[in-house]
Amino acid sequence: MRFLVQPNPAVLDRARPPVRAFLAFAALLLVGWAASRAAHGALTPDGLARILEPSPGERFGPLALWEEVHQGAFLYGFLLLTVGSLLVVSPVAPGLRNALVGLATAAALVDLLAPFLPVAWPGFPGWAELRIGAFALAMATLLAAVVVAWATFGREARRTGG
Amino acid sequence: MVDPRVRRFSGPIAAFAAMVAIVMATGAVLFARKIGFDGGHVQAFYLGSEATFAPPRSLAGLLEVAVPHLLAVPLLLFVTLHLVAFALVARRRPFALLAGITWGCATVGIGVGFAIRFAWPALAPLKVVAFVGLEVTMLAWLLLLAAAVLPPFRGESRAGGLTASEAAPPRAARW
Repeated sequence: MRFLVQPNPAVLDRARPPVRAFLAFAALLLVGWAASRAAHGALTPDGLARILEPSPGERFGPLALWEEVHQGAFLYGFLLLTVGSLLVVSPVAPGLRNALVGLATAAALVDLLAPFLPVAWPGFPGWAELRIGAFALAMATLLAAVVVAWATFGREARRTGG
Repeated sequence: MVDPRVRRFSGPIAAFAAMVAIVMATGAVLFARKIGFDGGHVQAFYLGSEATFAPPRSLAGLLEVAVPHLLAVPLLLFVTLHLVAFALVARRRPFALLAGITWGCATVGIGVGFAIRFAWPALAPLKVVAFVGLEVTMLAWLLLLAAAVLPPFRGESRAGGLTASEAAPPRAARW
């Protein structure tokens, strides 16, 4: 944090290779996360309903739902903090940065909370489609944020350093 | 007193705080549903129960839960406390006290399951105390983080028990 709030061109330039390596792994994480959900059948409404929809009499939903949200929020939290903070110290237009972080956060919250709709209101229509759409949007915006950070982090430092 | 340099990071920090709140809330639900909030349920969870046909936890089963938490919990605490220390110019002693309680609860919470299962089942209530302590202190840290990044309600945030007086010279928090 101290490095991020006190950036100077030389430090940013030195930090560029490890930051890019981190961003490459962040991109791999996003791709792997999507592949994992696809492999578990969680990218189709029927598959999602089979995994996460509460059985009759299961008042608080299946344990698998709570475990998935527990782990998902952890991943989203660290991705949003790290990639968002890198965008703050990169030469990115504030509008673009806020749009990426804001959209990714909103989509992530919908992705995490949508499966609770049929828990609160059994038979709630369209929750699975909502979750799949939110997950796709979260992945797309986070991936875009990673790409923007990759392309811009330390750019001005390199120019200044000549 | 809020460090103005952190204001630029309000968006990512607020998103992080929201996600940590979800992690802690779902953790509480999982604890309540899988283990329970009294010593008897904790013992039954670790030692098994004839009434519910639950077998005792194996070492492999305990490690399967403990190992990911040994990375995730310290990482979460390290980042959260680091952000609070940097965002708010904290008073050293209350900050250290709250941080110590949080780290202590996290350590006991992860480790005491092994002790209950293999050494001393009477430690079961300690599991509940450690979990509740971690949840309560994390809630305090998240409130402090929210106070640092949310727009001030009435002027600049006022000095509280943990944060330094605005009259005091700004300094980085150390503990």
